[in-house]
Amino acid sequence: MKRENAMRVTARCLSSAASFVILVLPNVVLPAMGQTSAQAPSNAKAASKPVAKNWVAPRTADGHPDLEGTWSNATNKPIDRPKELGSKEFYTEQEFAEVSKTWYLGERNAKPEAHYDFAQFGMDGMQANFASNLRTSIVTGPEGRIPPFTAEGQKRNSERAAKAKGHEFDGAQNRGLMERCLVYGQLEGPPMLPPMYNNNMEIVQAPGWVAILNEMYHDTRLIPVDRSASPRPHIDAGIRQWRGDSRGRWEGDTLVVETTNFTDKTPFFGSSQNLRVTERFTRTGPQTIVYQFTVEDPATWTKPWSGELVMGPAQGDIYEFACHEGNYGLANNLSGARAVEKEAAEGKAEQGSKR
Amino acid sequence: MPSDVRRSFPLSIRSRVRALAQIPALGLYLLGIQSLGAQTPTAKDAPHFARTADGKPDLNGIWQALNSANWNIEGHAAHAGPILELGAIGATPAGVGVVEGGKIPYLPEAAAQRTKNFADRLKLDPEVKCYLPGVPRATYMPYPFQIVQSQNRILISYEYAGAARLINMGKPTKAPDNFWMGWSNGRWEGDTLVVDVTNQNDQTWFDRAGNFHSDALHVVERYTPISPDALLYEATMEDPKTFSQPWKISMPLYRHLEKNAQLLEFKCVEFVEELMYGHLRKKTGP
Repeated sequence: MKRENAMRVTARCLSSAASFVILVLPNVVLPAMGQTSAQAPSNAKAASKPVAKNWVAPRTADGHPDLEGTWSNATNKPIDRPKELGSKEFYTEQEFAEVSKTWYLGERNAKPEAHYDFAQFGMDGMQANFASNLRTSIVTGPEGRIPPFTAEGQKRNSERAAKAKGHEFDGAQNRGLMERCLVYGQLEGPPMLPPMYNNNMEIVQAPGWVAILNEMYHDTRLIPVDRSASPRPHIDAGIRQWRGDSRGRWEGDTLVVETTNFTDKTPFFGSSQNLRVTERFTRTGPQTIVYQFTVEDPATWTKPWSGELVMGPAQGDIYEFACHEGNYGLANNLSGARAVEKEAAEGKAEQGSKR
Repeated sequence: MPSDVRRSFPLSIRSRVRALAQIPALGLYLLGIQSLGAQTPTAKDAPHFARTADGKPDLNGIWQALNSANWNIEGHAAHAGPILELGAIGATPAGVGVVEGGKIPYLPEAAAQRTKNFADRLKLDPEVKCYLPGVPRATYMPYPFQIVQSQNRILISYEYAGAARLINMGKPTKAPDNFWMGWSNGRWEGDTLVVDVTNQNDQTWFDRAGNFHSDALHVVERYTPISPDALLYEATMEDPKTFSQPWKISMPLYRHLEKNAQLLEFKCVEFVEELMYGHLRKKTGP
């Protein structure tokens, strides 16, 4: 636990760490992590049956289930189910224990020439004590995979990629959202998927509000939770936000949060600005919140899709993740690109003069 | 009410409320409230203020300062801004100041540094670069902030740059490092939330006028309800590397009463990228 804390603090203080990671990792953190992963989580077994019998969720002063605490959504699941598992939605307890043993993110990525061991630098989410279920993927349902793009979604994403190609280092705006310290790529959400490390969030509940402070990147979701007959409408459709505009309500003991008003710059696995996210938070035990989400975006996917994670208690506190304040990585990437261009130009000029 | 509030700043909360209670109509109102029997013994300190289920002042809400402290916490006349093209938009609004006694007690060297900071503020003010603002500056920037208070937790979320602070209300904890927004341990003193803020770094300023501190800064904040929709905010600064003695600022914070009030995103990182990294942009053309 101490080690984990120390590592998190280090990551935060070496504020270029996030940018560094982005250099090392492609933008497909989750699927990559799912196929590797680490040691068997110590509380995974206990949490694998999230609904405890006869357990009654603690209540806040205004009578709603108490979701408060410092939670982690670290997981050992890939977002898409590995193809070889077909329609197998759940592992047995025994299979899960076996599979967990083979997951390790550390050594696999440690190469002597560019030493960057995920375990050593605390980037291995699997090092954290994490809650789990027996699912074979985050995406639920018989397919267990993000559905294919619609023609429109395919076209938009291909065009976006084509436009970006060859200009990756032109300027700050051409770099990834993580490297720019804007939002944690497509993982910060909503829906909130585990970033590679610092998979932590603090939930605070006040009458009429639920606040979720995500450690990555010190961003707070302030969710009005409807208490009256006339729900607070979403903000004007013309106001677009990186993390959208969320409205909450209680359905029995489940907090349901609907989010709209996303920007067209927040591509969640290729989504459009018309993305609509529904999240469901259910406290199912002293150490578990079951987190379910559904994403709808007919401009992007052929059908809505859903996912599920189990959140467990985080180790230690939430710390400040000041990413932009020390973003040497972004500046260094750009100046490196300029240096390479200069060298290439000088090389050409030299070759020219030799002729 | 605002004039009462202003007049009563130098008084203690208790004596000010006593003064208010002498206004007959208000006095009757207070009696009415007390006869409901729902008040705690300290309720007379802030008779109108909402309370949580456990009897603490309910600080939940969206708050904002209404002053020009973010331009200069000391009293100042209006003056032109540093960017010619911005004209009146970029000018500094005047302010009577929020520093008790008027002047910040700088050590001589620090006073000279402040003057340099002001002269070079476009380059040096961390706000220009969208950096986290530190405490107390976050409180009186021209953006709202929201206090989310439950029985065991207090979170302050600021619109500017998505800055956030978790106030530890349990046993005081020690910071493992320095942070832009510092390390906050809170406690209740009667109806006042007192927050002890340590471990800020030396990168943040108090305002756009170059008022600054070192990493030895120790801030004690006090949030006291003074009406249903206003808090008195006080902050005492101690930093022996920069100041000859502790000094204090105070100001009211006002509740946003709009029915649809909510914090929106001010993710200013995007707005400063060209300023900060534009010189590294690939040159097109000759």
